[in-house]
Amino acid sequence: MSAEAGGVELVRKSDVVWELPVSGDMRVPGRIFASGRLIDAITQDRAADQVANVAHLPGIVEASFAMPDIHWGYGFPIGGVAATRVADGVVSPGGVGFDICCGVRLLASKFTEEDFAGNRDQVMAELDRRIPRGIGKGAIAPRAILKDVLRRGAAAAVAAGYGWDADLERCEERGTSDGAEVDAMTDRALTRGGDQLGSLGAGNHFLEVQAVDRVLDPTAARVFGLEEGMVVVMIHCGSRGLGHQTCTDQLKLMGNAMNRYGIAVPDRQLASVPVTSTEGRSYLAAMAASANFAWANRHILAHEAREAFARAFGIAPRSTGMDLVYDVAHNLAKLETHDLDGVATELCVHRKGATRAFGPGHADLPDDVRQVGQPVLIPGSMGTASWVLRGVAANPAFASAAHGAGRVMSRKKAKAHSSGSEVRRALEDAGIAVRPGSVKLLSEEAPYAYKDVDEVADVCERAGLAARVARLRPLGVVKG
Amino acid sequence: MPRTVLSHTADTGIDATAPTLGELIEELATGMFELVAGPAETEPSRAVEATVEGGEPADLVVDALSELLYLSEVEDVVFGVVDVVETNDGVGITAGGMPSGEVDVVGPPIKAVTYHGLVVEATSEGWHGRVYFDV
Repeated sequence: MSAEAGGVELVRKSDVVWELPVSGDMRVPGRIFASGRLIDAITQDRAADQVANVAHLPGIVEASFAMPDIHWGYGFPIGGVAATRVADGVVSPGGVGFDICCGVRLLASKFTEEDFAGNRDQVMAELDRRIPRGIGKGAIAPRAILKDVLRRGAAAAVAAGYGWDADLERCEERGTSDGAEVDAMTDRALTRGGDQLGSLGAGNHFLEVQAVDRVLDPTAARVFGLEEGMVVVMIHCGSRGLGHQTCTDQLKLMGNAMNRYGIAVPDRQLASVPVTSTEGRSYLAAMAASANFAWANRHILAHEAREAFARAFGIAPRSTGMDLVYDVAHNLAKLETHDLDGVATELCVHRKGATRAFGPGHADLPDDVRQVGQPVLIPGSMGTASWVLRGVAANPAFASAAHGAGRVMSRKKAKAHSSGSEVRRALEDAGIAVRPGSVKLLSEEAPYAYKDVDEVADVCERAGLAARVARLRPLGVVKG
Repeated sequence: MPRTVLSHTADTGIDATAPTLGELIEELATGMFELVAGPAETEPSRAVEATVEGGEPADLVVDALSELLYLSEVEDVVFGVVDVVETNDGVGITAGGMPSGEVDVVGPPIKAVTYHGLVVEATSEGWHGRVYFDV
């Protein structure tokens, strides 16, 4: 059985694995994890072409992977994973994206759905007032801590009074990316992002109050601190203008350097240089500093969410039980050691719209989480579910899983489908409180613009990418 | 001068034509900010100037648009009017607009100008450009 996408033939290898055979200058095949229904959506745009383009990168190993939420991006598809050998492969900012270390954070709480219902208006009003979002709408933290944040990430935020020490244990990389160098950043990046520390942004970024709807894996849920009926808070955002400018500056430098290394790529957004080159090291150092901004940004927003709940319920923040379940990035390139044909090999794993998903026993996981595997957070769209999964052994895509529902409809079409007011009304009719930065923008992020997140989570499990732990249902949405 | 919004699953873009390269940059830049705030309906209250050094036309277009995005964010202005003058070294830009808090937002802020699917080409009638933006 096969499918076709933009002239590229996809060969069905199993229930949930589709392969793009090597052709032209592809160095490896493409491999897409999707059900038959998802592949129908995936083949509507140019995402499969981009999977093939990524397969041209020097040093790429095994395959150019695509997660079940894959869709057309720029350079890499969103949902793309590529591992290159550090020894003789390349690093590509296009494999990370402009929103460096964009990711998701999930907070537990002591509150039940009934508790929230009784204080819903107060909580949403506090969040509405406290969470900077949208275009040019300020930030929570002062510029004075910026350089410390770039060096130490979430640890600098905790030192400045945002969040709790224990939070750091539940952050990927403990909230601090190694190898960050402030000197690798441009002044323009520091200027652009300096006044945005502790802000949500806009587009698909959000802060959502959710309820744990269903637990499928009670053991893992208990370890993660989740139980049915619990109110949780999910935050999705990244490195703001600082990361966007860093990627812009680095792409220009790499574009100029590529000829010197004799590297040719089919899309300029895939500009890349050897991982070990001066430019490659410089990019990774600037990327790590931008990632530190993102870890801290989510940390500061989480602090503010705790303050909002505490104020609304008239209790101390520490009494809210809003412990961190996990914080995980989905736009990063990371140097990791993986088994390659039986040999432990250092790889640069690019995850562009894909979540790291380490399985049980991995040394980099916190002690308590290590027994069940890393929490994998898959946000849905407004009005639909989100999912918590866990990493599993023998993941077939260098320990990666999906990062969201994945768009299926362009912004243009989504806006034509319904107005922002209509989307807001539909959400409120479904019992979901909405606090948008702009009502008009709601239509672009409406549930109908995305794939079925339940199916994405299900395919992750069937493909051996991650196992489902709990389904989350939205109660209140704060959007940029 | 014709200008169209490109359909893209996750992001967005502008396709435009113009008699000169400078005017093409004006078209693309104006289109880029209209994605965020719609057509400017009032006189600009703020203005900025910038110069961007040249290279290949495609690079000049990306660099000029990226400079405007940078200025928009650090000056907190959404530009509604963009004038571009071609110089020996590249382009000079004058852009006017309104503080972001005073515009009626119609689309999400643009994060960056991408090289994906980038087209900047001379045609028999002038210039044609196609640029995708990350939002």
